[in-house]
Amino acid sequence: MEKTTKILFLGPKEEEHRRLQDLLQERSSRNFDLSHVPDLMAGYEILSQDKFDLILLSVSGGADDGVARLEALHLRFPNVPIIALGDADDENFAVQTMRKGAEEYLIATQIAGPLLRRSIRYAIERHRAEEKLVASEAFYHSLVENLPQNIFRKNLDEQFTFANKNFCSVVGQPLENIIGKTDFDFFPAPLAEKYQRDDRYVIQTGRIFETVEENVSPAGDKRYVNVVKTPIYDAKGNIIGIQGIFWDITERKQWEERLQRANADLARSEAALRKSHEDLKAAQAQLIQAEKMESIGTLAAGVAHEVKNPLAILMMGINYLAKKLGDDDALSTILRDMKEAIYRADSIARGLLEFSSSHQLNVSPADLNSLIEETLRLVRHTFTEQRITLVKDLKPDLPQVQVDKNQLQQVFVNIIMNAIHAMPQGGQITVRTYARQLTETTHFEGSRKGDRIWVGDRVVIAEFEDTGSGIPDEHLSKVFDPFFTTKPTGVGTGLGLPVSKRIIDLHGGNLDLRNKTESRGVRATITLKGHRTTYA
Amino acid sequence: MLKKKILIVDDEKSFTNLLKLNLEETGNYEVRVENWAEDALTAAKQFKPDLILLDIIMPRLPGGNVAALIKETPELRDTPIVFLTAAVRRHQVEENDGIICDFPCIAKPATVEMVIEAIEKHARRQPASVQ
Repeated sequence: MEKTTKILFLGPKEEEHRRLQDLLQERSSRNFDLSHVPDLMAGYEILSQDKFDLILLSVSGGADDGVARLEALHLRFPNVPIIALGDADDENFAVQTMRKGAEEYLIATQIAGPLLRRSIRYAIERHRAEEKLVASEAFYHSLVENLPQNIFRKNLDEQFTFANKNFCSVVGQPLENIIGKTDFDFFPAPLAEKYQRDDRYVIQTGRIFETVEENVSPAGDKRYVNVVKTPIYDAKGNIIGIQGIFWDITERKQWEERLQRANADLARSEAALRKSHEDLKAAQAQLIQAEKMESIGTLAAGVAHEVKNPLAILMMGINYLAKKLGDDDALSTILRDMKEAIYRADSIARGLLEFSSSHQLNVSPADLNSLIEETLRLVRHTFTEQRITLVKDLKPDLPQVQVDKNQLQQVFVNIIMNAIHAMPQGGQITVRTYARQLTETTHFEGSRKGDRIWVGDRVVIAEFEDTGSGIPDEHLSKVFDPFFTTKPTGVGTGLGLPVSKRIIDLHGGNLDLRNKTESRGVRATITLKGHRTTYA
Repeated sequence: MLKKKILIVDDEKSFTNLLKLNLEETGNYEVRVENWAEDALTAAKQFKPDLILLDIIMPRLPGGNVAALIKETPELRDTPIVFLTAAVRRHQVEENDGIICDFPCIAKPATVEMVIEAIEKHARRQPASVQ
């Protein structure tokens, strides 16, 4: 069953009411229920008691009076659509009534039944749609105004077309002073230029632009702002401006930074823990080594003493025989060889003692290059004799090293003599020095290696390369063992490298010996910690 | 010229014999040998040497103690003592200007020349040979 449409006629004339009644009844499929009140006061009363679908309001008789009534009525009952009924065929007046809230203006004398009914139907539908639109607008308006974000819109000429309350308060201007203005009216030129550059990016690419801006507030503290700019399209899909939303994320940033700092602290304490663990391991290894060396030391001292005494006897015997035998060439050659043998045996006993006794280092700051130059002067004649060419690549201005100069020179001599012995047919020795930041962790491997050199340390490195036959793989692990030697008897004591290794260990450095990968020969690498104060 | 009197105290018999022979061969020295450290003091009192060559590591009584005993004996207090020992290394001797534990020192194995050099450097001058 068709729903009845309840209509209120508000007008002074009873005959008009009757006429309207007739018009509505005319061949209509729809039911209309028309009530009538003569004036505004009665209208208010009935409207506040009963619900009407539409008001037919007579605005005739004094134009101003009619419009005023319309306005008052609409203000009081905005939910009820109103059709204004007037006498005048006056377009301006009609528009005026519609501005004040009428859905439609009809000239009372010209109304026909169908027109009236259609107008009523349309007015009700239109009013309903408008109400929805208003509600929807109010919803979005309230969203936009109440969101904590700052929201604005600009047209293609960079003029503001909209700004929400938050944006207005950021700019410090009411909305009407913002509309039509540009960024240059509110922000310093460099900032305004940046903002407009971002706008142009959005307009030209049609892409969303998002960034975090870092601003310094007038008070001097850093503020972070998250900005999102999106294009605005018209109904045809053309870009007609941009919409920007930005909000303060300083607090979030501060928490992020705090979190990062906390993480870094954690990483540092973890590293410190790892380091102290390594330190402990190294100390333990050193302790074991020290104990080992102490017992070897005692043994070595005993052995050396027991060897040296018979040597002393032999020496005295040879001295005596030399005197007795006089100038016999053949015999004195024999005696000289015997004496040489005594010196050799003595030097082995001495080497053993040096290897085993715990060295006291007499350290002082030194320049590695000068030390190497001095050492090379000592062995220069051997180079010539053995047809060895020397290549030097010493980087200048190395950090100083804290070393026992004599002992380090002994190490250099040992390594150079090894290189020479590895090249009986002659060859080339390359001496290289340089400094670098230790980046790899290979020095942590093994308990003894790199006890006191750490990743990140500035190290000074001396490399000695020969062009000899290299070290067979099966010998590589033994080169630092005392008395291990492949040299002919009398050439090597088997103590040069162990003693060198021990000296470098005592310096907290690292001595590494390996075959070169790029060509034949051995590379000995000495890594020492750079002295901190010299490269500050 | 009077020969310098040298007392050798060392437990190595072969060594002392050969050193004695070598020193006497020069014609400049009168040498007495003691192979037992305990006998050193008595021998020194009797022999009144111009210099004592003293081993350090000996059974029962180390050379250091013998040296102390001699220095405590009034008539021997001024007798020079030179250690001749396998317990020190030659470079230790060189680095310390030949002085170890307040006494001159020679490291074994030493040549006769080294021993004679030390004797000539440290032996007490004999009044008769001053002229």
